[in-house]
Amino acid sequence: MSSPLKPPEGNWWDQAVNRRESIWLGLGVIWSLVLFGWMSIWTRTGDQNPIGETYRVTEAEFQEKMAAYKDAAEETEQGLVPDDTSVYMAGVRFAWDGAPVVLEADTQYDFHLSSYDVQHGFSLRPEATLSKQINLQILPGYEWVVPMTFDEPGTYHIICNEFCGEGHRSMHDTIIVTEAA
Amino acid sequence: MLGLFDNDYGSDGFRQCSVTGLQIHQSVEKYVKLFALTAIVALLYGGIFALTVAMTRWEVVGLLDAGDFYTHLSLHAWNLLIFWMIFMEIAILYVGGPMVLGRKLPLERVAQLGWLTMVAGALLVNYAIWTTSAPDQAPLLTSYAPLPSDPLFYTGAIVFLLGATISALPFFTALWFEKRENPGQTLPLVTFGAFITAIIAVEAILGGLAAFSYALAWRIELIGSIDAALYRQLYWIVGHGSQQINLVAMIVVWYFLTHVVGGAEIVSEKVSRTAFILYLFFINLGAAHHLLSDPAVSTGWRIFNTSYAFYGATFASLIHAFAIPAGIEAGRRKRGLGGGLFGWLTGAPWKNPIFSSTIFSIILFGFLGGITGVLMGQLQLNMTWHNTLATVGHFHATVVLGTTVAFMGLSYFVIRTMFMRAFISPKLASIQPYFYAGAMSIATLMLMYVGILYGVPRRTSEVVENIPGTDFSLAAAGPLFNVFGIFALLAIAGGVLFLVIAVGSVLFGKKLEPGDNADLTPDGLVYPDGGDVETADVEEEGNPVHTYDMRGTFVLCLIFLGAFVITYVLNWYLLSQLWQIGA
Repeated sequence: MSSPLKPPEGNWWDQAVNRRESIWLGLGVIWSLVLFGWMSIWTRTGDQNPIGETYRVTEAEFQEKMAAYKDAAEETEQGLVPDDTSVYMAGVRFAWDGAPVVLEADTQYDFHLSSYDVQHGFSLRPEATLSKQINLQILPGYEWVVPMTFDEPGTYHIICNEFCGEGHRSMHDTIIVTEAA
Repeated sequence: MLGLFDNDYGSDGFRQCSVTGLQIHQSVEKYVKLFALTAIVALLYGGIFALTVAMTRWEVVGLLDAGDFYTHLSLHAWNLLIFWMIFMEIAILYVGGPMVLGRKLPLERVAQLGWLTMVAGALLVNYAIWTTSAPDQAPLLTSYAPLPSDPLFYTGAIVFLLGATISALPFFTALWFEKRENPGQTLPLVTFGAFITAIIAVEAILGGLAAFSYALAWRIELIGSIDAALYRQLYWIVGHGSQQINLVAMIVVWYFLTHVVGGAEIVSEKVSRTAFILYLFFINLGAAHHLLSDPAVSTGWRIFNTSYAFYGATFASLIHAFAIPAGIEAGRRKRGLGGGLFGWLTGAPWKNPIFSSTIFSIILFGFLGGITGVLMGQLQLNMTWHNTLATVGHFHATVVLGTTVAFMGLSYFVIRTMFMRAFISPKLASIQPYFYAGAMSIATLMLMYVGILYGVPRRTSEVVENIPGTDFSLAAAGPLFNVFGIFALLAIAGGVLFLVIAVGSVLFGKKLEPGDNADLTPDGLVYPDGGDVETADVEEEGNPVHTYDMRGTFVLCLIFLGAFVITYVLNWYLLSQLWQIGA
């Protein structure tokens, strides 16, 4: 009897493997390669990748950048309209500095994401379709530049989804996407 | 004490287990019981907060306000994910090491010291969470710096990890003695698996000591600042490393229990051991999947760790997914226990809660926990899972439906064969795994659905009925939350049932004599001389195990692979519908 409680007898390494187990091992290798291959291909050809330049930045430095960005931007009733395609946003307990912001559809914006205090979660979805949602981790001390192009106009909601203190549940703001000009 | 640690040992301190045939020394058995009982106390305590946490997330009830919620969530996480699991895993190391090898527990004093240190650490962590006050915040599981936690919390975590290390020493020593006395002898598979578990545990603990020492040094101002990204990297060595211990220990338990109560054999020592070796080299790198949606780590680093490296471990899991059911199939066919495609399975001892717990653990871990783990471990898909309740669904599938259900089966086994107690109600014990695993599966699926389909975040006390300060909410997820709430309550009732049966049987169950456990094994009892079972002649004549038919397992595995492919395609479809993100 081959028992897991006893030392295997004889030359167990050279014992034959059941044919169906061998087939399964082959399928396992193929599937692992598919999993890897598809992910790798998507970084080259896909439209959704959590990839962007990251820079070390102090909280004070990012606040300066934010101030300059806000000076150049236009204040409207709906929110900030950025001067160019750079968008700055920072988590700060318990609000999003730089939001709400008004953007145009079909324009690629570079989102500069950071935090002034603790870790936050940048969770974004359009009001109309909640299943279209992405989530990015925001760290203090790092500026993450993530390009985004919204293809559908509408109101997008940002919810903080990393615990940042007791008021965390109220940390919400919006991105308004208007029709392409 | 209450006769809990008594058994009929011979003058040399050994007795033979009538179910496994193992020679068990009282020193080993005493500590297995001690660690297992402590684990069950942690399960009971942490389980209380399952109720309060679930009933807060179900906002129709909305039990706790925000401050209390995070405290309870922290207590739920630490007591169940860490203390229940790791106390049980030390018991598993002692079973897999000295007990299976038929040895005394070496360094008994060290085991005692390890237990005391672990208990001290666990109490300190609990005390620190209860007494957290501003500026400190509830740590949750992760204590993500620079959100400060109570210095006592970091200290407690460090003490507990040191205690776990001390407790592992008698296990390593037993293996050392065994190899010295029997050079060249291969270890039994269960011992080998336990050894791999212990090495992975040491790796995890080193990461944990680094992470919590770093945070403590910052919190008591020995160093001026803490790097959030570096802390995350260090933390996840233990944060996920500890879950890898749960996984590998659970697989050891699968091999152990399917053999003992299901009659499973090892269809290929070579293949199963290779899978454990793959875990050893690759599984800890999979921890990188917690950092896939992080800014500070490069794309190359993320892809390497979660693909090149991690699929080594995924492949290992696929191996066990075949090897364990195939072991049951071949072992039962060999004994003439069920023919046809699935007769070996349908004719299995489904009323035995040890068996049914183990099988549910295997199936549910694979279908719900394993598949989702690979999905969220893909660089891009991770963006749709990260920090949503779907993640919470994933790890409830792995550590609850997988590990906890397996450990419940193991607890039943320990009660019957080491405490030598009958269940206070065999009927309720038979039902409990079905009830618990069934209700918990649905609650878990709901967590995944609300996370993926509605983007409901984890770690928040409210967001579905109301987000304070805005008209917006995720109210569309409400109906699924109602299903979640009801089945969470049922699952908790199933957990209570387990505790009532387990604790009740240990304290009040009828004391069993060595001959009373015949119903547990597929072969009847082992002969006292350690020679095999009533079917000894069958085994003499039997063919090598790999020659038996494994087509039932093959079909089950193809169904599993089909489910895997379908969920994979669906998840990628959802992702591809999003706007353009990233370079």
